[in-house]
Amino acid sequence: MKTSRLSKRKEIYIVASIFVLVFVVMIVFFAKFINEDARDFVYNQYNSRFSVFSDDYVRGTIYSSDKKPLATTKLDEDKKEYRDYPYERLFSHAIGYTGHGMTGLEAYYSFDLLKSHNDLQDQIDSSLSGKKILGDNIYTTLNVETQKAAYEGLGLYDGAVIAIEPDTGKVIAMVSKPDFDPNSIDVYWDNITGKDSSKSALLNRATMGNYPPGSTFKIVSTLAYLRDNNGDDSFSYNCNGEFPVDDYTIHCSSKEKHGKEDLKEAFSNSCNSAFAKIGVDLDRDVFMKTAQSLMFNENLPTQIGQTSIPEFNIDSKTSDKLLAQTAIGQGQTVVSPLYMCMLVSAIANDGVLMEPYMVDKIVSADGQYIDENLPSQYRRIMTVKEANTLSDYMESVVQEGTARKVDFKGLKVYGKTGTAEYSDDKEMAHSWFVGYATDDNGKELAVAVIMEGAGYGSKFAAPLAAKVFDAYFN
Amino acid sequence: MIDVLTAFSRIVIILFVAIFTFIDLFLIFERRLGQALGDALIIIQRIVIFLFLGLCTYICWLNLNNPWPIYIFLLAILSFVLIILSLKNVGSSLSAGLVNNVLFFLAMSFVELERLNMDSALRQAIFCLVAILISFGIIILLKRIYQIERFYYIFFIIGIFLLSLVYFLGSREYGAKLSLSFGNISIQPSEFVKISFCFFVCSCIAIFKNIKGLILATIGSVFHILILVMCKDLGTALIYALCYMFISFIAYKNYLLLLVEIGVGIFAGYFAYNNFPHIQRRFLAYTDPLSVAEDQGYQLSQSLFAIGSGSFFGQGLFKGQPKKIPVVTKDFIFASIAEEMGGIVAICLIIVFICSFILIFNLAYRCHNSFYMLVTCCIAIIFAIQTLLNIGGVIKFIPSTGVTLPFISYGGSSLLSMFICFYIAENGEVLNEN
Repeated sequence: MKTSRLSKRKEIYIVASIFVLVFVVMIVFFAKFINEDARDFVYNQYNSRFSVFSDDYVRGTIYSSDKKPLATTKLDEDKKEYRDYPYERLFSHAIGYTGHGMTGLEAYYSFDLLKSHNDLQDQIDSSLSGKKILGDNIYTTLNVETQKAAYEGLGLYDGAVIAIEPDTGKVIAMVSKPDFDPNSIDVYWDNITGKDSSKSALLNRATMGNYPPGSTFKIVSTLAYLRDNNGDDSFSYNCNGEFPVDDYTIHCSSKEKHGKEDLKEAFSNSCNSAFAKIGVDLDRDVFMKTAQSLMFNENLPTQIGQTSIPEFNIDSKTSDKLLAQTAIGQGQTVVSPLYMCMLVSAIANDGVLMEPYMVDKIVSADGQYIDENLPSQYRRIMTVKEANTLSDYMESVVQEGTARKVDFKGLKVYGKTGTAEYSDDKEMAHSWFVGYATDDNGKELAVAVIMEGAGYGSKFAAPLAAKVFDAYFN
Repeated sequence: MIDVLTAFSRIVIILFVAIFTFIDLFLIFERRLGQALGDALIIIQRIVIFLFLGLCTYICWLNLNNPWPIYIFLLAILSFVLIILSLKNVGSSLSAGLVNNVLFFLAMSFVELERLNMDSALRQAIFCLVAILISFGIIILLKRIYQIERFYYIFFIIGIFLLSLVYFLGSREYGAKLSLSFGNISIQPSEFVKISFCFFVCSCIAIFKNIKGLILATIGSVFHILILVMCKDLGTALIYALCYMFISFIAYKNYLLLLVEIGVGIFAGYFAYNNFPHIQRRFLAYTDPLSVAEDQGYQLSQSLFAIGSGSFFGQGLFKGQPKKIPVVTKDFIFASIAEEMGGIVAICLIIVFICSFILIFNLAYRCHNSFYMLVTCCIAIIFAIQTLLNIGGVIKFIPSTGVTLPFISYGGSSLLSMFICFYIAENGEVLNEN
């Protein structure tokens, strides 16, 4: 027997330690996946694991914040289960549908609706007697009256309305058109998924829409200007209705000439020339950093499922022309109504953004178990001073600016109108309004409205926002 | 009634697996345990395995409503007894700990396979018996050959010959040439070449003990790996390459050598990524499986859906839908375990895998003979890499490479080659002593 020099060596344990280390990292990754990331996969539309109607549980009911049922499970004549949506089209995108996959809350909370936190003894009894167990019920933050005002106000236009309570992040209303009747999704299925997918009724424009922000983006440009000038808003510009940049001229809306104005006046008049000038003069780095601090180019922090990413892009190679267009919200920037609503709700909440959520609590069928969803703060996205300055400017829009003619029924409203061109045809424009209102008790509501191809924000979107505020506060 | 039982059995299964894993962690430090306590722990582990298998068999029997699970149970117990008896003379509680781990993997494999596909479970049980007999035979043979490392060139010829056979005659599966078919039996030579490959590399090093051995081993490894790349069996090529890398580091104690090899490896990976479209597809499926969920990301997405819906406590046996994952009995069996038995069981399983390769490294450390020391190290490395590539691929930790999970995935070739490795590791200490 020979004992070679090769036999005893510490390198064996070095290699073993490397492997142990990698395996431990893998275990941590695995546990983190199950604990946090798995939800995104489990509730994905491609996951066909959960059939809508389980063999063991009766799918729970979805309620509005005022305890009205929005989706329930009923039995037809043959004792077969079906899902009933008493408000038909009103909540089509917010609640979603079942059958042909699932969307909206039906999809995102499918897991919870098909689970039961009833008393264990009851569950065992039901199971032994072959009866189905009642799944948990969900209480949403949605308010039927506010939703109705938004839905009816949008009328025949395509577009979206979303309303959020700024200090909690509760989504009060969410409407998107074109829509569908979730009760008869089977009948419509072929029609709505047909060739013309760009007009797809299944797309939730409130959360997934990608719109040019138009003049509502001046909120961001203003903040970038303030940050570029260390909070100093002494700005003066003499508007003669147009601003030439490179081989292109930016015009003010309706060929108006605003004359001499400061930053606040330029904002409340929505003066394109002044903001084009601001855009060209802005430090590009500050502009980009401001946008990034306002969550551009990242996944939005929400608890309401899939959302589109707001996009903003400028760098050292961006032309002056594109910069000027970007500053007035016409460049390559795109946002969803949800994003604009989150932005103004952070302004209303002194710069702190609360994560939007739609489910207030999950309650077991016997009412014994309650899992309450508490408001959760994302982070401060601007200073109190910045938020107050922007609020002040937005107030002047309603008092003496573009929205002065809109009747807000005595509410204190802070807002910004927008008219976003989306094609070469200057007559065609999306009508935007974003803003928030407060009543005497300090209750607040933030709203974002877009009406596709309607025209001026002040004429269409702002009056609709007024109706939504009215329904909510009165 | 069955539902209630299944639901409660879920918790008991987690308990069994947790107890087994907990004891396993102690067994790594067997030297400090003392003989009596070590033996007691070994016995407790075996009882736990027996109860685990018995309970799962009962659940399967209730749900399937046919007697097959009981036959599988009996076959499993028969193989367990054979394994324990055939390795009895090797003795220490270190090797007994490894035996228990293998029994645990087999029990897990039988339960999951009979739940997924009774036919596969039955075949696997028979493969298992055959594999035990063949492995035992190979050990008897190895004991009779003095200084087997003299025949390094024979291992090279065997390896290259078998791999070339696959390249010229193999049938394609999922884009790669992996197997040779004889009627309705198909074998995967690359599984066995793993063993001849590690014998080849180790004997080169053990015989020459100098730079000549390294050069020979390197040239031989490159040949093996190139043929595998030509067959597009990149998962196996990666196993061979990493195995060569670590074993040369252990043999020559040279950090510079390790760095150079890592550098070459990164370059080769970069080159492969740019030249093999199917690697790019796999990589995309890895980075964002949902974006291609109906296409190349389908398998991984289904696997993640399964793991996610299982969560920490699992859906319970027969309560999940693991059959939605393509090829679930082979590469993705870990996902089905995670779905039905839960994340806790899955994590315990990973820990048992860690304990297993640590035990094999410990066994290597004890070998008196330098050749078998290296071979046992090689086996530990192959075992660890294969586990890592399989589980990592299933849980989206790394891109999936299509290798099997040792002792658990369905497949005769992989089971047999793992058994041979296991028997060599167990006997490494006593081999070549006379």
